[in-house]
Amino acid sequence: MSDQNPRGGSRGHRAAAPILLAASLLCLIISTRSLEGVPESLGLTVFGFFQRGFAAVGGFFSDSVASIAELQRLRENYRELSTKLERYTNMERGIADLREENKRLKEQLDLSQEISYQRIAARIIAKDPENLYSTITIDKGFGGGIRKNMAVIAFQDGMEGLVGRVVEVGQGTSKIVPLYDTKSFVASRLSGGSRTEGLVGGQGSPDDPLLMRFVKKRVKDEVQFGDLVVTTGFESVYPSDVAVGRVKKVRVLDYQTSIDIELDPVLDFSRLEYVFVIKTEVVPEAQPDATVPATSHGSDEGKQQ
Amino acid sequence: MIRSVVLSTILLIVCSFAQSTWFGGIAIFGVVPDISLVVLIWVSYKNGLVEGPAAGFLSGLVEDFLSASPLGFHAFVKTAVASLTALLHGSFFIDRLLLPILLGVAGTLVKAIAAFALFLLFGSTIHIYSIVDRVLWIEAAYNGLIAPIIFLALTPLSRFLVTEHGRG
Repeated sequence: MSDQNPRGGSRGHRAAAPILLAASLLCLIISTRSLEGVPESLGLTVFGFFQRGFAAVGGFFSDSVASIAELQRLRENYRELSTKLERYTNMERGIADLREENKRLKEQLDLSQEISYQRIAARIIAKDPENLYSTITIDKGFGGGIRKNMAVIAFQDGMEGLVGRVVEVGQGTSKIVPLYDTKSFVASRLSGGSRTEGLVGGQGSPDDPLLMRFVKKRVKDEVQFGDLVVTTGFESVYPSDVAVGRVKKVRVLDYQTSIDIELDPVLDFSRLEYVFVIKTEVVPEAQPDATVPATSHGSDEGKQQ
Repeated sequence: MIRSVVLSTILLIVCSFAQSTWFGGIAIFGVVPDISLVVLIWVSYKNGLVEGPAAGFLSGLVEDFLSASPLGFHAFVKTAVASLTALLHGSFFIDRLLLPILLGVAGTLVKAIAAFALFLLFGSTIHIYSIVDRVLWIEAAYNGLIAPIIFLALTPLSRFLVTEHGRG
C-alpha cells in the first residue's frame, strides 16, 4: 500500500513541517535562555552585509531624486552659514576669554576633568522587516566602536533627543531598540520645578505617545502641558538630561497611587536619518578624537535634520 | 525539490531585505505590508507540505537576524503559516482575486495567532499583535490587497519555484 497522499507527498514529507517547527522552538529556547546573543550577532554580521547593500541601492535612487532639492537647500544654508560665521568670528574673542575664566574657576573647584560623551555618527539603513518589532538598523557595528547597550541620540530641529539603545552588534551593522518600543523603559524626570521622576515606556508605534508611569500623584497640579521630560541618568545605559518628550496629557485615576503622563516624543522618528551612538566614559576635556565629543546636553552639534 | 526550496528561500529573503530597507515609503500609518508572507503563502499553497515550510523556516531564520525578535520567532511563525497553507494544497482553484485576498488576510491572522502561542510559551520577550490595535488589521488588509498582485506576478515563476508534483 502506498503512503503517498494527494496534499504533499509521503509520510516523511508530512513529518517535515513538525520537525521544522520543533527546530524553530529549539532556536527560541536557546536564544531566550542562554548563549547571550551570540547567534544573533553572527547572523546580523552576515545578513547585515546584504542589508547594507539593499539600503545602498535604495539610497542611491532616493538620493539622486533628492539631490536637486538638496542643492537648492545647501545654497540657502551656505548663505545663512556665511552670515553666522561672520557673527561667530566676532564672538570668538569673547568665548576665548570665557573659556580661560572657566578653566581658572574649575581649577579652583578642583575639577580637572568633566564627564563628556563621545558620539559615533551613524546612518539608519533599515528598519524591522515586519510590524511586530521596532528595530532600527544602523550602518556602524563592532568595527565602528559600537557596543551593546550604548545609548543612541539624534538631533532634530536643533533639539537633542533620545532615540533608544543598541541591543545587538554585528561587524558592520547594529540594531537599536527605539524609545517607542513596548519593551523600552527609560528612567526620566520632569525638567520643570517638580523634578519628579518616572519611567517612560513606548506603546509600540512611533505615532503613539510615550507613557510616563509611576509619577507621584501629589505633583499632578504642577505638571504643565509642554513640560520637557529628560533622562535621569540613573541607569548606566542613558546619559542624564537628554530630552525624551513633552507632556501631552495627564491621566489621573482615583484608584492609582501614581499618575500616568502621555508624552509627545521630541524626535519625529519617521524623519530620522542619522543618529549618534554615545560612548559613556570619562574623557579628558580637550582630547581630540575621530568621534565627535559633546557635553551631555544642550549641544547643537551634529547632523541637523 | 531542493531547487524549489533554495529559490523560494532566496526570493523570500530578498523580500525581507526590501521590506526592511525600501518599504518605509509605502507604509500606511507606519505599517508595512508583509510581502514575504504573501510570497510564502503562494509557494506553500502551490508546493505542499515540504517546500513551503522549509522555505518559511529558512527565510524566517534570516528575518530573525534582521529583527530584534529572539532567534527562532520568525522561523516558527513562517513555518506555521506555511504548514497550514500547505494543508490546503490542491483543495481550491486559485482565482485572480478572491482566494488571494482571503489567503493574504488569513495568513496574517495565522501569523498573529502563532506569535500569541509563542508568547504563552516564552513570555514577555515575544511581541504580539493586539486585536484592538490598528496594526494587525491594517497589515491584514494590506496583505490581502497586495496578494492578488503578488500571486499574479509569481505565476510566470512557477517553473522555478514550484516542483513538478506541485504543478501537477
